[in-house]
Amino acid sequence: MPTRLAALLVLAVAVLVGCGERAPGSGVTLVLKYARILGPADPFPALLGEFEAAHPGVRIRGEALPWLSDEQHQFYVINLEGRSPGFDVMMLDVIWVPEFARAGWLLDLTSRLPPGELAPYFPSTVEAATFAGRVWALPWNMNVGLLYYRSDLLQKYGLAPPETYAELTEQVHRVRAGERNPKLDGYLFQGKQYEGMVVNVLEAFWASGTRLLAADGRVFPEPERAAGALAFLRHLIETGVSPAWTTAADEELSRRAFGAGHAVFLRNWPYAMDLFEAPDSPVRGKVGIAPLPRHGRGPRGAGSTGGAHLGVSRRTRHPELAVALARFLTSERAQKQMALAALSPTRTALYDDPDLQRRRPSLPQIRTLMLAGQPRPVTPHYLLLSATLQPEFSAALAGLKPARQAIADGRARLDHFLGALQ
Amino acid sequence: MSSDGRRARRLGALMVTPTLIALGVLTVFPGIWVLWLSLQHRLPIFGVSRFAGLDNYAFLARDPRFWSAASTTAVFTLASVALELGLGLAAALALSRQRGGRRVALSLLLLAWAMPTVVTAKLFEWLFHPTAGLVNVLLGGSALNWLGDPRLALPAVILADVWRTMPFVALLCYARLLTIPAELYEAARVDGAGPLAMLGRITLPLLGRILLLALLFRTLDALRAFDVMFVLTGGGPAGATETLTVYAYRSLFQMLQLGFGSAIGVVVFVLVMAVAWAYLRLGRSTWMAA
Repeated sequence: MPTRLAALLVLAVAVLVGCGERAPGSGVTLVLKYARILGPADPFPALLGEFEAAHPGVRIRGEALPWLSDEQHQFYVINLEGRSPGFDVMMLDVIWVPEFARAGWLLDLTSRLPPGELAPYFPSTVEAATFAGRVWALPWNMNVGLLYYRSDLLQKYGLAPPETYAELTEQVHRVRAGERNPKLDGYLFQGKQYEGMVVNVLEAFWASGTRLLAADGRVFPEPERAAGALAFLRHLIETGVSPAWTTAADEELSRRAFGAGHAVFLRNWPYAMDLFEAPDSPVRGKVGIAPLPRHGRGPRGAGSTGGAHLGVSRRTRHPELAVALARFLTSERAQKQMALAALSPTRTALYDDPDLQRRRPSLPQIRTLMLAGQPRPVTPHYLLLSATLQPEFSAALAGLKPARQAIADGRARLDHFLGALQ
Repeated sequence: MSSDGRRARRLGALMVTPTLIALGVLTVFPGIWVLWLSLQHRLPIFGVSRFAGLDNYAFLARDPRFWSAASTTAVFTLASVALELGLGLAAALALSRQRGGRRVALSLLLLAWAMPTVVTAKLFEWLFHPTAGLVNVLLGGSALNWLGDPRLALPAVILADVWRTMPFVALLCYARLLTIPAELYEAARVDGAGPLAMLGRITLPLLGRILLLALLFRTLDALRAFDVMFVLTGGGPAGATETLTVYAYRSLFQMLQLGFGSAIGVVVFVLVMAVAWAYLRLGRSTWMAA
């Protein structure tokens, strides 16, 4: 409140001064497009007020984006391609940055940032903000895929968190044999036909030591291994380690089932921890987090990173101010306020912050996982890849197509669409 | 007389002109533009723009995803429209016989119809929940995997759509039933007609036109169905609930293939026009006869 008051005062003074002589930057309105945080904890009004106070004569209008990521993307594509964007700073899903940069919609930030500006960030977020050797966005908040486990159940049977999927499967069998509870599922992950499923499949690829997109741009460089990883996910469902409804599960459906105590393991994002630790949660104090398991020789804990970046529209009429706003909102100070509202910061130092650690004791562990996390393929064609592969992966998970066939079909379609781009 | 007729005709043409211009600007021009786009490889944001002839259509012709979307659209349209007409008619007949509580029944029907589709879809997501959902509880605690099983997902989506749009048909029919004079039924009763005969000889023939209208509206809507499946299943699992419009949306706004996506749009347009034309022809003969 005091900052809001101060902002108003400053604004009033600026208006008065403006009558005589226009100060640089007076009467400027910047528009910020972002997804609101619901509830009293929304830190943005105060943060935007603070920026206005520090920049007399500048007004910031925060405009809400649609809820769903798909709708946000559609909003941006229509408005940016129509050349009348009407906004200056925009929140971007990490997977859009290369696409928007390639389309010429984003301001190149490389020379506008002081040297060392990106050093305090997690490397994978910087990788996701970089395209063709230039920096196009500032990392704002972050996510990483991780494994939740029921620490009470594992302790009861003398088990340690699994390091491999073979161990995970075995532990599911042991716990369920001991509990004799037909309502207790084993391992929950996201298998509905949507972007979240692609993330799960990518993590399965990484855990097996292969990837979707090779460094030279080839799709499925090792189709056999990719098929093996996909087939394993189907195997989990077939053998009942994961429930049949996995093929309709998104983050919330699986999070609620685990949160109600109906599963031993869950793959999800860090936000779920706060909900499991809520005072009325049935699993409060019974949940631990661990890196995602690996297959054979694959790396452990290669969870996919996600989250939001801030970019500046290339058509902004106030590039200096817009970059200043993006830098302010991604600053350590602003990210700390956002972290108190349950968004995970992109700056590593905040994970050691005592205030935040008191509020979220799992932060040091999440930091380790963020460091090991991998971005989804950083390419302007990411949505093309994902939208083309979703029905193929889904068919494999539902058992309609052998995994090898799904990979081959997806590859043929991608070759067609990517070929048309040449 | 003849000069009067000419003047009237000229005045008529003048009055229609604004409408024709508006229609031309709002529908014909975008229509031609989409047709033109569909003949190109066009991805503006990647600087790809070249004439492709019928390439996009040739790819569609052997694209399994397109054929699967086309058959899903057909099944969805046939099943949902048939159920909506049947149930809507039954609801209207029941409503017109009902003595008390009509207003409550009408409000309930309107509520289902007035609810935004996205809300309806979210509601059904919970009803179809595999373990906690009301549908499975009502089925005696079965563990049917409604939205995750490729064989059940389309019926589940159809059910949600029928629940949402059946009231539209019911209200249309109910309004028509109110206008049928009671004397008709009395005369029939005097002649010794039973309830079935009255339904088949009086009610249904008089409802014919309104049913045809409902059939036209519902079929055109169903052919373009998008929001129910988009929210409920995202077109999955395994593309089992992906309709042509969902495929077009993904191609246009996610894959940004403006040319290819427009080709799908053109196919949907031709389909809708063909169905509308067939109904209107059918309607003309029925309306003349009625």
